[in-house]
Amino acid sequence: MMMPGVAFLALSVAALFSQNLPAPRGTTSPQSKAKSAVTKAASFEQLSQAADRARDENRDDDAIRLYQKGLALQPAWKEGLWYLSTLLYEKERYPEARDLLRRFVAHDPDAGPGWALLGMSEFQTREYSRSLDHLQRAMALGMGGRKEMAQSVFYFVAVLRTRFEQFNESTGLLIAMVKSGQQQDLLVEPLGLAALRMPLLPAEIPADRREMIRMAGQGALALEAQRQEEAQRLFSGIVAAYPKEQGVHFLYGAFLLDLRPQDGVAEMKRELEVSPFHVPARLRLAEEYVKEEQPEEALPLAQEAVRFEPGYAPARMMLGEVLIAKGDLAGGIRDLETAEKGAPQTVRIHWDLLRAYTAAGRSHDAMREKKEIEKLNRPDARQ
Amino acid sequence: MYISCMPVVLPILLIVLTLNQVSSLAQNIIFEEIAKRADAARSTDHLNEAIALYSEGVRLRPSWPDGWWSLGSVLYEQDRFTEAQAAFVKFVKLQPDAGPAYAFLALCEYETRNDDRSLQHFQAWAKHGSPGTDALLDVAGYHWALLLTRQGKFTQALYLLTAKAKKLGATPLLTEAMGLASLRMGNLPEDYASDKRELVWLAGKAALYASLDDPKRAEEYAGRLMLRYGEEPNVHYFRGTLYGFQKEQDAAAEEYRRELQLSPQHAPAMLELALIQIDDSRATEAVPLAKRAVALDPENPRAHYVLGRALFDTGRFQESVHELEIAKRLAPEYGPIRFTLANAYKRLGRIQEAERETAAFLSLKKKEAGSSTPEEKDDKQKQTGQPQ
Repeated sequence: MMMPGVAFLALSVAALFSQNLPAPRGTTSPQSKAKSAVTKAASFEQLSQAADRARDENRDDDAIRLYQKGLALQPAWKEGLWYLSTLLYEKERYPEARDLLRRFVAHDPDAGPGWALLGMSEFQTREYSRSLDHLQRAMALGMGGRKEMAQSVFYFVAVLRTRFEQFNESTGLLIAMVKSGQQQDLLVEPLGLAALRMPLLPAEIPADRREMIRMAGQGALALEAQRQEEAQRLFSGIVAAYPKEQGVHFLYGAFLLDLRPQDGVAEMKRELEVSPFHVPARLRLAEEYVKEEQPEEALPLAQEAVRFEPGYAPARMMLGEVLIAKGDLAGGIRDLETAEKGAPQTVRIHWDLLRAYTAAGRSHDAMREKKEIEKLNRPDARQ
Repeated sequence: MYISCMPVVLPILLIVLTLNQVSSLAQNIIFEEIAKRADAARSTDHLNEAIALYSEGVRLRPSWPDGWWSLGSVLYEQDRFTEAQAAFVKFVKLQPDAGPAYAFLALCEYETRNDDRSLQHFQAWAKHGSPGTDALLDVAGYHWALLLTRQGKFTQALYLLTAKAKKLGATPLLTEAMGLASLRMGNLPEDYASDKRELVWLAGKAALYASLDDPKRAEEYAGRLMLRYGEEPNVHYFRGTLYGFQKEQDAAAEEYRRELQLSPQHAPAMLELALIQIDDSRATEAVPLAKRAVALDPENPRAHYVLGRALFDTGRFQESVHELEIAKRLAPEYGPIRFTLANAYKRLGRIQEAERETAAFLSLKKKEAGSSTPEEKDDKQKQTGQPQ
């Protein structure tokens, strides 16, 4: 069963990829080969041609049967593996497609589209962990300029990251998708889930939560488009309608911190009353206190955030920033270095370290951070 | 005639032998070359080539265990579980004492949905001492727990998952697995209804933080779970077990009662409530509850054990022995049953049998010191370590 709303993303996969594949191989048998081998090759040749013809003529069931026969003769037949998996995927026969695609990518590990379709098949068979790994591999390899395929992959990666509680990464990806002009209707619920830090797929949203999640997503979209009034209306509306739900005060607070910091601080505190272990609320509050030159207020918040989520790099980063604001340069550097190990791609940590090393007179280390920032800011540095 | 033929036959025989030897020698050389190339291909990450070469190697020499092992491992790395499974089956036939292979075989069988075989091989792996790398221990322990959950062995599953959580922390995969087991849902993460996801997540978080000795965070998620899903089956039962961890027996008893209002046939809630009553010197009240649980789930050793304990505490030793003997037949390795049975025999003056059960209990206690389930540990804590 395909997720509602994303069916279009995965249609016509065979057509999408076919341009990338080499033409079916001619299999002329060497004269020295035994007669049976010649017969087998001829038979394979006939089968592969018939299979291609059936596929071209949209006789999918015939094509599937013929590709299966061809693969029985030549199990490593790359084109056969590919076309058969795409046909099976389109027929929603996902486990079969998945097994063939595993063989396909084993033969062609650099084929981004292969990993993409494998990840999407695994998404459908609910092997989410593997699916995310393989879709991210597809992203890293690229999909050869196939826009629709790339959009599908980004979408699946974003919703899976939310399900695996990687809310910040998911939000970043979804916002990038919004900026690239992707259909926004499709992104409302994923954005709402990531913003409210609910590790569900859109298809897993309970009916009585959908409205709240959609409001959060629409608010995030309005904010991204700098439609402040609409964002204000949506965020204040969600707080009024769902005052006891986790994440809603945080969302409104994050919006307000940029406009009216004191109101933002108040909302963040309300969030901590509703969900006492909310780490991002602590971090935003700590950040605000540092900005207001009140590091004493910020310190316990940052320390608690680290205690609650010891492996969470943003918490370490914030603790490092707070310690430095308090004048503890060595302690701050220590936490920033820990944060850097956990999130080497986060430019802000490198900036923090650059400033801290400079202040500590460690020019060699500062130079290294500067180079790292330059590297990360290059257009080709990230997908 | 025979003698006269000899001069002719002998040279032919010699030639034949020589040809056979030559052929065998050639085969050996070919095999050695293939094995060498296969290992080289594998070590340089040319996995498809390695697969082809190992396949050829085991075709030439089907008794080559290293070949089957390497072939299985490479196929497993490529997620080609059906083929990997076939290779590991061959390997364990040749090397039945190679413990880690059972874990890989079980993992392949998990993926190919041969659940019963998978469980058998996880058990075989455990019998060999659960050997393997840290990564194998984590992956195998996790999947074993998933299968135990699917089989309805929730306590055992939670025991394994708790150990993983203590090592790996609050990961999303462990959260989901613990949620399913805590809510007594006999499902895998891949096959439960989508609309249950939030329920499973909240329960999983509560269970996970409870297992990490973080009761406040467990409480936060449990509170949200109750608020959202207080009418769902098993939720109050789970809440009761969380209170039980925190030694809040009155609150736990209340939750079990509420579960029984929602699900009147909930045998585990009856048993937990009966145990609380026994500990609270109200064994008379526990007897009818435990009897209902036995009637509902007659093959459950814990039900007979709890009834045996309740009957013991009310002085009905003959009946207690009857229940405890059934419990012992169903779960001979469960130490607390042997402990209570020893006491019951003693009360009936059946000294020899009491001594036998005491010895069995002490032996099990020694054997299971590091491997008992939380349920057993909990029971053991309530006892003094020696039969009265």
